[in-house]
Amino acid sequence: MRYESQRIAWWFFATCMLLFGLQIVYGFIMAFAHTGHDGLHAFIPFHAARATHTNLLVMWLLCGFMGSAYFIIPEECETELVWPWLAKLQLAALVAVGVTAIIGFHFNWWEGRKFLEIPRPLDYLVVIDVLAFIANIGMTVWRGRRLTTTSMVLFFGLLMAALLYLPGMIPTNNQTIDSYWRWWVVHLWVEGVWELIMGGILAFLLIKLTGVDREVIEKWLYVIVGFTFLSGILGTGHHYYWIGTPRYWLVVGGVFSALEPVAFLGMAIYAISMARRGGRNHPNRVALQWSIGCAVMSFVGAGFLGFAHTLPQVNLYTHGTLITAMHGHMAFWGAYAMLVLAMIAYTLPLLTGRNLYDSTASVFAFWTANIGMIAMTLAFAVAGITQVVLERRLGMDFLQVQTEIQVHFWGLILAASLFTLGILAFIWVFIRSGWPVARVSAKGDASDVSALPLADQAVQGA
Amino acid sequence: MLSKSQARTFFISGTLACAVAFVGLTLDTFRRIPAQTRAAAITPDVARGKELWDHNNCMGCHSLFGEGAYYAPELTKVYERRGESFIRGMLTDPEAMFKGQRKMQKYAFSEPDKAALVAFFRWTGQVDLNGFPAKPPLARQATPSRRDVPQPQIFGQLCIVCHSLAGQGGNVGPALDGVGNRRDAEYLRRWLRDPPAVKPDTRMPKLGLPDSQIDELVAFLEAQR
Ligand code: HEC
Ligand code: HEC
Ligand code: HEM
Ligand code: HEM
Ligand SMILES: [Fe+2]
Repeated sequence: MRYESQRIAWWFFATCMLLFGLQIVYGFIMAFAHTGHDGLHAFIPFHAARATHTNLLVMWLLCGFMGSAYFIIPEECETELVWPWLAKLQLAALVAVGVTAIIGFHFNWWEGRKFLEIPRPLDYLVVIDVLAFIANIGMTVWRGRRLTTTSMVLFFGLLMAALLYLPGMIPTNNQTIDSYWRWWVVHLWVEGVWELIMGGILAFLLIKLTGVDREVIEKWLYVIVGFTFLSGILGTGHHYYWIGTPRYWLVVGGVFSALEPVAFLGMAIYAISMARRGGRNHPNRVALQWSIGCAVMSFVGAGFLGFAHTLPQVNLYTHGTLITAMHGHMAFWGAYAMLVLAMIAYTLPLLTGRNLYDSTASVFAFWTANIGMIAMTLAFAVAGITQVVLERRLGMDFLQVQTEIQVHFWGLILAASLFTLGILAFIWVFIRSGWPVARVSAKGDASDVSALPLADQAVQGA
Repeated sequence: MLSKSQARTFFISGTLACAVAFVGLTLDTFRRIPAQTRAAAITPDVARGKELWDHNNCMGCHSLFGEGAYYAPELTKVYERRGESFIRGMLTDPEAMFKGQRKMQKYAFSEPDKAALVAFFRWTGQVDLNGFPAKPPLARQATPSRRDVPQPQIFGQLCIVCHSLAGQGGNVGPALDGVGNRRDAEYLRRWLRDPPAVKPDTRMPKLGLPDSQIDELVAFLEAQR
């Protein structure tokens, strides 16, 4: 850690841990409801649990991105954050808005559009809050002494994410138009600008952890995010097959979304080959594991499992079934949850001055969480395939099929317990690392491979 | 070998080209949506129905146009599938309809609100969704009933929710194949007028059907042998 203000990241990451834990609790409530045990129905009906589960997810990921940006931007731009107090204020405000929204969900106060459930008045507060964040890092980049590709990609990813929240607020009384704009937020986030954020953060981690030359890493960063947008923008069409929009979206969405896995495959190959090429051993091995794991699992969850149901011929039958839940879990886990966890694993020793990266708990967390998530995906997959065959192909009644597949939700609960064990270990390491106290040092972090002469400092500017 | 500035050019030009194409297609789509979704049929009632749909987060259990949760039935075509009285029943007291099954939220909707939601579902059923939801390609063809009594419409909308016939339908009540062998017309008529009067602890609700529909149903059920 070279700059005092980077320490703020810790508070964002601590918030992540808290919200993530709570998200999992709500996941279990839903899984039990699916097995027929909905004892909490009177207090936390399914739709409240679901809105809470997904909104907590989005909120902790955004907190993670913000924390990462507050750590990365000063380091890349070689300057202190311009307004550290604003960062703290902005985190507090975000948490306050989030908590209000989630309490509101339990009292039937929401907007009821999947993933955009937050009620309208709170939407405006979120926008203001995110603008404060963007202004803070934007000014830091502007005043910075160095303009790197990594920081620019990260900054534009975050800026575009903030702007793309706006179409979701356009009022309409036509369900089709409503859905059309909703995807500008949901799809263009996860399959567009969030991938830019992912590319930026991964590039930063790879530069720090592998010691490969910045110029090489950033060149491939451009190629990969280039593929992301080439396929991902028009790939939005895979959500416009069946919502009352013209038929040509079947062709446009089918062709372009089928190309989307290329970007994820690129990301995986890139991370692995950079790690190989680096050759130097960074002591924080578990951070590198999370980084490469992120690139690989995002290819499996988003690329492979996304492709599995993206062609219109397939999607006609899988649309809106548990197949989508299967893909949603693995994709969010691989691409974004693991990304934030990678960033936490890397920064934690630097922020707190305690090196727990080769503790048993750190290694256990990585493997248990991943194996647990793979098993959860399989449970959703079996339930989803059975649902598609019985309900969509054979025409059996919805509720009857749900009874047939209850048993797979016991499988889900088992797998999710394993997963939760891994996450608890991760949180344990976070807690044991203690408060953020490490001293800053002008030379950067001794353990960073890039802090050694040649690798990092060789190239200045994009 | 590719240089960094070439890579940047590839990124910027590719993104710009796709973004322009996407905006163009969006403009064209918005030109066509009114016809494809029959936007003229969005009456104040339908709009009110959508508002209720949103503000109660029905999408948190159900899906519409295939979007939403995976906990409760897809509702795009529910008007055609179940008819008005059944939908009103669900919006009044879901427990009465499906006792002991997966729970739906109980709402205190006013009559105009229920009418608005029904109108909303009538509209969603008429939007051209390019073939979604698809007819199940492997479904068994419902066998035509013996003695050729046509199936009353109300049977396909209401009774099939809880009963099955030829393997199609729900499993809340017993399958009605061969019910004509078990029950006579007299019993069936009494039963359909008021099931709890015949069997106090029954889980089949009193459906309040008019006599004309009961006659049709009795004739149809009696023919199931
Ligand atoms: C907590 C989850 C939940 C919420 C919220 C919910 N429903 Fe339901 N709904 C269900 C379930 C489960 C069923 C299946 C029947 C049953 O078991 O009660 C159902 C059935 C229905 C049906 C009959 C569908 C069919 O094909 O038989 C209609 C119509 C319906 N709901 C409308 C609504 C509307 C309108 C709203 C919002 C105002 C809503 N529901 C909110 C869970 C929910
Ligand atoms: C909400 C669910 C539900 C609906 C809707 C429903 N039923 Fe039933 N029905 C049941 C249940 C449950 C039983 C079993 C009653 C018992 O034995 O307690 C039953 C029993 C019956 C029986 C007696 C069967 C026998 O073998 O004794 C007949 C006949 C019948 N229903 C006809 C109908 C018809 C016709 C309709 C449509 C107008 C209909 N039901 C709608 C739930 C329903
Ligand atoms: C990290 C990237 C990704 C994430 C986080 C993600 C997540 C999700 C989520 C949460 C949904 C459900 C959305 C909703 O119904 O509101 C969804 C739907 C979908 N995704 Fe992805 N996804 C990603 C990448 C991809 C890719 C690359 C493809 C295609 C190759 C893809 C194909 C699909 C399809 C076709 C659907 C619609 C499913 C349906 O019809 O119900 N996804 N995705
Ligand atoms: C560990 C315990 C977890 C359990 C038991 C669980 C269970 C569930 C269930 C039952 C649903 C609802 C499906 C429905 O509508 O019927 C759901 C939705 C969802 N969960 Fe989880 N979940 C867990 C963890 C996670 C994690 C770690 C993530 C992200 C990384 C996640 C992301 C999502 C998403 C994106 C959805 C919405 C899916 C869609 O709409 O297609 N969940 N979860
Ligand atoms: Fe998508």
